[in-house]
Amino acid sequence: MTMSVELPALERTDAMTPPASSARLRRYARPALGLLLPVGLAVIWEIWVALGYSNGRLVPPPTRIFATVMELAKSGELSRHITATVTRVAAGFGLGVAAGTILGAISGYWGLARQLLDPTVQALRAIPSIAWVPLFILWLGIFETSKIALIAVGVFFPVYLGVMGAILSVDRKIVEVGRTFRLSGPAMIRRILLPAVLPAYVVALRVGLGLGWMFVVAAEFMGASEGLGYLLIDGQQLGKPAQIVAAIVIFAILGKTTDWLIEIATAPLLRWQDAFGRQGVR
Amino acid sequence: MLALDRVGKTYPNGVHALERFSADIRPGEIVAIIGGSGCGKSTLLRAVAGLDRASTGTVTLDGAVITAPHAKIGIIFQEPRLLPWLSVADNIGFGLSELPAGARREKVARALARVGLADKAKAWPRELSGGQAQRVAIARALVPQPEVLLLDEPFSALDAFTRRDLQDHLLDLWNDTRPTLILVTHDVDEAVVLADRVLVMRPRPGRLFEEIKINLARPRDRNSPLFDNFKRRVLTALDRSLDRNVPDADAKSTAGEAMWW
Repeated sequence: MTMSVELPALERTDAMTPPASSARLRRYARPALGLLLPVGLAVIWEIWVALGYSNGRLVPPPTRIFATVMELAKSGELSRHITATVTRVAAGFGLGVAAGTILGAISGYWGLARQLLDPTVQALRAIPSIAWVPLFILWLGIFETSKIALIAVGVFFPVYLGVMGAILSVDRKIVEVGRTFRLSGPAMIRRILLPAVLPAYVVALRVGLGLGWMFVVAAEFMGASEGLGYLLIDGQQLGKPAQIVAAIVIFAILGKTTDWLIEIATAPLLRWQDAFGRQGVR
Repeated sequence: MLALDRVGKTYPNGVHALERFSADIRPGEIVAIIGGSGCGKSTLLRAVAGLDRASTGTVTLDGAVITAPHAKIGIIFQEPRLLPWLSVADNIGFGLSELPAGARREKVARALARVGLADKAKAWPRELSGGQAQRVAIARALVPQPEVLLLDEPFSALDAFTRRDLQDHLLDLWNDTRPTLILVTHDVDEAVVLADRVLVMRPRPGRLFEEIKINLARPRDRNSPLFDNFKRRVLTALDRSLDRNVPDADAKSTAGEAMWW
């Protein structure tokens, strides 16, 4: 009797697992499909310029951008700029995440702290972060500190909001399970709240990192002598569009790679999630 | 023994949910609490579980006043409330964190086999059917061997067939250690098949209306005339608790008046 009750459920899980061959095909076909549009456009532009329909001076063709990258790489310039930018993002991201996590957790956990802290944070959030630049320069100087501070401010808000929102939206029913098993405060945090908050936290980290990359450009616009943002400004001032596009492409690659690293690092912790994307689309 | 002494609850918003509810429940007894909506069944259960404090009166287990969740009192909710980030086995072992890992594993394995889900030990809760998930919840509540197990409409979200199956299964599990069971339900069938005693409550404010002893040997045949008889008694009591007219032998006076007119 028991078995016959469970049979439909078993059949359903079987039906959801696709055959191995089509799954493998989809695994490789999906990134390939995503590449079709950008690669296609690049090839078309390359041919367009090669055929002489355009001189490609303002919009350089892919080969010229690639040549610029190689040139920068050979002279060692490129790695110097990338190191400078990545170091700034890493420092700013680290600071922003630490502050956002701590304050977000405090605001989410204690109602009194939320009432004290949250209105101020929300008011500060309404200020466009770039507006801090002049003040940061006055306070912290023109060099690294002010740049890192600006990036940290950009990263802070999404992380703070994500952590606080996630804690506030933890299911009361699950917390009650912890209470019936008489978990102490720290055990409740470790065994119920942290795992419950983790998915939203990962999203907050990824949003924060995205903003970190955005703000490093703004930071490097304000008087840097190295960094990818400097390459952009330099390219503009000396009229080298290929260098600008090269820097943009490198930003894209770095941004995507670091985002992917977060995804990879946290995937084992989130295997349990019943996400729509995990069954159908992926 | 579990003693409820004039337990009452008024919520901060002024709702008077429960009034002076008293009952003594013997160890190993199965008590079903049944009643219309708003009769304070769940309020009562939450007070016994120590999840909410009663406004008046006391709940005592073997002389100790219950004010917070107690190690000897387990609870099963209407939803399984499994922790989605733990495997089925880890969910069952959730309340055993004080045991050494080896002893815990052994207890969990035994509980899994006992509820017939040994092959699901490593599955995630989302991979279970509703009936399987509720069985895991039952195992999780039973594995620390509570003296009292509270059940808040535990099978009401399941289909009729699975529900029957789980009712039988619960009785079977109960027989292992014979904890006290207090079951809140809407389902007259469920109350009569499981309980030694059915407490019928009436709403606004919730209070005890009638107590019906079910003197039927187990296992109980759901189709026997005696079973039907007890069901009818509970149904009649329920109807009267809601001030409905009952076209039944028990309600002769109202019927007689109508004829006299």
